[in-house]
Amino acid sequence: MQDLPRPDPDPVVQAYKKDIDRTLIRENLKLTVEERFRKAMALAKFAEELRRAGREARRRRG
Amino acid sequence: MTDFDALLTTLWRHDVAFIVVGGAAAIAHGSARFTQDLDLVYLRTAANLDRLAAALADHKPYLRGVPPGLPFIWDAATLARGLNFTLVTSLGDIDLLGEIPGGGTYEELLADAVELQVFRTRCLCLSLAQLIRAKRAAGRPRDLEALAELEAIEEEGG
Repeated sequence: MQDLPRPDPDPVVQAYKKDIDRTLIRENLKLTVEERFRKAMALAKFAEELRRAGREARRRRG
Repeated sequence: MTDFDALLTTLWRHDVAFIVVGGAAAIAHGSARFTQDLDLVYLRTAANLDRLAAALADHKPYLRGVPPGLPFIWDAATLARGLNFTLVTSLGDIDLLGEIPGGGTYEELLADAVELQVFRTRCLCLSLAQLIRAKRAAGRPRDLEALAELEAIEEEGG
């Protein structure tokens, strides 16, 4: 793919960029690609467990 | 939960030609954002459709979001009749894309794609520059936030 010049920065993207947690990015960049995928899968597993716990809590509350 | 390890290994073992795109490609480049599926652009030759159909055949592929029980035959002929397939499988969710906005087809993406050595396999993935171009072209609100992170990764030397 041809390397085209970058368009002018999108103000919305620039606004989002201010809130990016760069410490997370720097930590991820220290990992291998495989470690990044394993971390993402662990996060997904944790999210799934939280959803399950939330469903159970709502059921108990009636 | 999508098992990236198992899905990539299965596709690699069947010698499927594909390029990892989307959120999984962003993870490969250092993104901290959450993704629930594996997005791929696949080569649409007859031989590759056969390999792709065989690779996922044992993993119960079915159209995601479609009520269960509707007739869906998973084979190369079905792949040839469509372009993009959003699937649920026993290994997790996978999106098979014939092309992507801002990037094009497998053949068009191939020259700039990067090789990943991951999970004892080798596979191709969009380069960070390609991923940024694709997100910019997609232009959906959620892509703008992802784009901000990808540009930050680039600035951090990713």
